[in-house]
Amino acid sequence: MEFEVVIGLEVHVELQTESKLFCSCPNCFVPEPNVNTCPVCLGFPGARPRLNSHAVRQALTASLALNCEIALFSYFDRKNYFYPDMPKGYQLSQYFEPIGSDGYLVVEDDGGQPKTVRIARVHMEEDAGKLVHAAGGASSMVDYNRAGVPLVEIVTRPDLRSSGESRRYLEQLKRILQYARVSDCKMEEGSLRCDANISLRPVGSETLGSKTELKNMNSFKAVEKSLEHEIKRQKNILKRNEEVPSQTLRWEEDRQETIVMRGKLEAHDYRCFTDPELAPIELAPEEVDRVRKALPEMAEARAARFISDYGLPEYDAGVLTSSRCLADYFETCLKSYNNPKVVSNWIMGELSAHLNLAGLEADQCLFRAEDLADLLKMIDEGLISGKIAKDVLEKSFQSGKTPRLVVEEEGLLQISDHSELEAVVEKVLAENPDSVEKYRSGATKVIGFLVGQVMKETGGKANPGLVNELLVKKIEG
Amino acid sequence: MELRKTTVREAAEEVCSGRISAYRLIEMTLNNCAVLNEGLNIFNSIAGIDALEQAKAVDRQIADGERPPLAGIPVAVKDDICYGVLPTGFGSAAFREFFSPYTATVVERLMDKGAIVIGKTNLDEMSLGSTTLSSPSGPTLNPRDSDRLSGSAGAAAVATGVCMVALESDSGGALRQGASHCGVVGLRPTTGRVSRHGLNAFSSSFGQIGITAASGENINSVLKIISGFDENDASTARPGDEPPLQGDVPDSMDLKIGYPAAAFDYLEPALREVFEQARDEYAARGFRFIDLELNYLAEALQAYYVIALAETSSNHSRFDGIRFGETEKAGDLEALYSRSRSRILGREGRRSSVFGAFLLSKGNYDRYYRQALKVWSLVKREFAGALTKCDLLMLPAVKSLPRPVSGETELLDSWTDDLYCAPVSLSGLPAISLPAGQAGSLPVGLQLVGPPFSEEMLAAVCDRVVPEINIFPHGNV
Repeated sequence: MEFEVVIGLEVHVELQTESKLFCSCPNCFVPEPNVNTCPVCLGFPGARPRLNSHAVRQALTASLALNCEIALFSYFDRKNYFYPDMPKGYQLSQYFEPIGSDGYLVVEDDGGQPKTVRIARVHMEEDAGKLVHAAGGASSMVDYNRAGVPLVEIVTRPDLRSSGESRRYLEQLKRILQYARVSDCKMEEGSLRCDANISLRPVGSETLGSKTELKNMNSFKAVEKSLEHEIKRQKNILKRNEEVPSQTLRWEEDRQETIVMRGKLEAHDYRCFTDPELAPIELAPEEVDRVRKALPEMAEARAARFISDYGLPEYDAGVLTSSRCLADYFETCLKSYNNPKVVSNWIMGELSAHLNLAGLEADQCLFRAEDLADLLKMIDEGLISGKIAKDVLEKSFQSGKTPRLVVEEEGLLQISDHSELEAVVEKVLAENPDSVEKYRSGATKVIGFLVGQVMKETGGKANPGLVNELLVKKIEG
Repeated sequence: MELRKTTVREAAEEVCSGRISAYRLIEMTLNNCAVLNEGLNIFNSIAGIDALEQAKAVDRQIADGERPPLAGIPVAVKDDICYGVLPTGFGSAAFREFFSPYTATVVERLMDKGAIVIGKTNLDEMSLGSTTLSSPSGPTLNPRDSDRLSGSAGAAAVATGVCMVALESDSGGALRQGASHCGVVGLRPTTGRVSRHGLNAFSSSFGQIGITAASGENINSVLKIISGFDENDASTARPGDEPPLQGDVPDSMDLKIGYPAAAFDYLEPALREVFEQARDEYAARGFRFIDLELNYLAEALQAYYVIALAETSSNHSRFDGIRFGETEKAGDLEALYSRSRSRILGREGRRSSVFGAFLLSKGNYDRYYRQALKVWSLVKREFAGALTKCDLLMLPAVKSLPRPVSGETELLDSWTDDLYCAPVSLSGLPAISLPAGQAGSLPVGLQLVGPPFSEEMLAAVCDRVVPEINIFPHGNV
């Protein structure tokens, strides 16, 4: 029997705001525990929440960027349950009335065709703290720095049909939210978290099979891997004519497999009711329109502009706009070094290679856009060769030193001094009489070999154009 | 100076003019406190040296030429309102030594104008009740008859003259019934008039901070200072939201009072007689009465308990042994919670949390909670409608005389005591509880309910109809 895969994703995204959702504590990561806290986010008796209007605007922006219907009247509800990372014993969340609903997003299906993935809801809620388990497992501690950080939860309809499609959905979602400046969406840092619901059914069937819930995936790759793993597992069960048990599974990255977290997908009774301390959120239609109009340029529009304004090939434009920060990097670099194609080549080549290796995004690396511009200028000024530049980039990328400082410290300045180079050229000619003969007899290509020898002698620092010129002059002269 | 015959304004003037120092005033007050507390059990903690230090600071301010409007005024604060200097015990054995990291806005505002916090007054466990019988430190006795309960310790503090003002919470009517039982005046303000930041309310919807004093004028002197927008309580009215103050009553007393005669039928004859007499006296002073109906008092009482208990179960979830209260050792989290919470919450707290969780659980939410919300909006409409026909509403403040100290009270009987107060809490309207007369030797109070933000008018009417309140001669300084 052939099976159809049915996947729905629930994604939590931390909103970029100055302060937390219900108090004025800063919304930023600090390593020291329980620093960004106050009576409100610690749930002290008598401290009342006050809604951060910027967070509401961010959630509104996210909802609009995901083509949602906007609730002009919504509110926060209490989801009551006990867990140590939740200081109040309940989570404030838009349970009954989400700010955004019935949106969609377009991704490529496995056949490369555009496909609409429906988004059921986008709602605001507060984040919880973090449990820190002491070595030895005797006790756990709680860090409430994250408690009260604003989140939106984005829930799809069960429209995804494969692990690859799911991954592309996440990539597209991330791109959109980054472009909208709603969130930095860094899954590795926890600012984007994803749970997956997955079930299989015979092709053609309309009813959903029994599902499992997958948790603890720490990267897009892990989402794809764990879904593949789970699809295979469920297929095997169904092929044995058995039923897939409804379970919550946990992805173990080290073992590349899932383990059972909770036996049953019991429907927890959260005893939800509307929070009596917060006023309802009322949005004026004009405000929604204003935010809609102010939505930033999205990836597709930006790529089109890169093609028309900078004359970039379609491929380059696509790669550079795949994330907002990479596109920002490109344009920042252009400000001080206005040669789009050269900059594009360096970003897509050398820089991307280092970023991938280090697992970083363009806005996280020490080698800034200004550094790349300066590096390219040094090549143009004849101070370093392109080959040396690659080494400089790597060293600068690792150490955070400016390229100029690296060149200076390592003595990598290109030798453009005639007298210094002439000595080396003469030495190389003297050591390679055969090559000189070949050249004179018409095989002028051999000049490349001789240039290489000079470069080798000078540790790559010789100005290759000048070397070429000197060699020809000496041989022919 | 005879404190019991002095108004807040006069006393502050005495202090500002230097005829008596704040220090001396507070020293005498503290002496009286110590004596009275022995007999009546009014205070859970007394400020002592801290109060004297504050008094000294006020004297220094005066020496510097300032004239704080509440200079040296001794204030009692109920022990569910956070005050960083003394323990805030919430009427719970588990919080006997709990110090709040912050102070409630109302207390800060009073102290800022020269008032001195004398102590924290006794209360029911987690404020759940209007008898103080469930207090871990035992009940507060009635200064008018020490074989009976005072209902609220703040009212006892005012009735004995040790404090000129008490700040108290009022949800279902503890403040208003206490004022009635002790023969003093108590104001429950309009929802949003006075900040609730720092009040550990079991019910977020109905918990309010009100003022108990010996006259309407004294209440107004304090209300002026504590009311108004507070950025820490988003529900407080912003400047401009409040209608212009309605402080002055027309000399002619040309006010129409709505009298829901049928509502008085619930009362035993002795009490009904008191109210009928009071009505005649009001009429003799020129007030006009109109008959009207309030049809949902009984339903309002039920709705009040459904909503308040549901909120209690959620508000008290934070007392889980992780952040607040001792952590009981246990093998797993579930056991830790149940053991810790069983210890932290007393009988009243446990019962309320269980009831509330039941009312919000699946199925019951629709059956009880949703119904209660409907009743709530019905009651709001009914009260608002009644006030279109008259300027004020008259209702009893109590359903029975202060209960004897010994003897059991059935839970439902104690809930029924809120019959006249809880519906007013649902209405969101301001109400003043003032002496109506005596049944035997015991005081009986009535409520005047006014339109939103009519507190000043209510207090002024109170002073017209109750020219002098008998304060025990403990306040001689």
